[in-house]
Amino acid sequence: MPDENNEIMQAQESEPPAAIAEGPPATASANEGGSEAKAWGVAIAGWLIPGLGHALQRMWGRALAVFLCVGVLVVVGASMRGNLFTSNGNDAFDTLGYVADLGSGSFYFLGRAVERNGADVSHAGGDYGTRFLATAGVLNLLAALHAYEAARGRKA
Amino acid sequence: MIPQGPITLTHMQAFLLFAGVISIAFGFLGRRQPKDRVRYILWTFVLFLLIGIGIGWAMYPFSR
Repeated sequence: MPDENNEIMQAQESEPPAAIAEGPPATASANEGGSEAKAWGVAIAGWLIPGLGHALQRMWGRALAVFLCVGVLVVVGASMRGNLFTSNGNDAFDTLGYVADLGSGSFYFLGRAVERNGADVSHAGGDYGTRFLATAGVLNLLAALHAYEAARGRKA
Repeated sequence: MIPQGPITLTHMQAFLLFAGVISIAFGFLGRRQPKDRVRYILWTFVLFLLIGIGIGWAMYPFSR
């Protein structure tokens, strides 16, 4: 598949050449600074819009997979009336749930839009939905971390 | 595209959907080559099923 070849080429290209590693300290430091800033930008983009971090690096297959997987989990979880936690939680578990839900970036608001009637965890379905939503957030954070590592030139 | 009403899934359907989606994500993030990805997705999916059903049976004696 062409996009997979792109991913491999991208990973090979992103590995720092020996000349940079052995260059003058000032140049290497500037390169590292730019690369680090770019990697953070990629990670934040990947967090805000699932898959964007990989798309910016032309990893099309991974971008599409992350976008669809996180999207399916959020839409199904919200449609099952899972609990989307808010910032004004009552205890530490609510706060943890909020952090996990926020991990899906902009899709958190998609979930709120889908869940028009609010959460209903009195049934098993709603409870499963809560897990789906939290998993979507954590999965997106994992994908953003993966994109960050790839942008830094680590094998990913 | 986006469901307008609430979705009702059985336990097994939710379990299979969860295992399938997470396996696909792990496969794409964890492997580069298409063949490796397919094998990893299938392996992860089977492990999800085995461990999930195993935990379910392990909890069965305490369910009542």
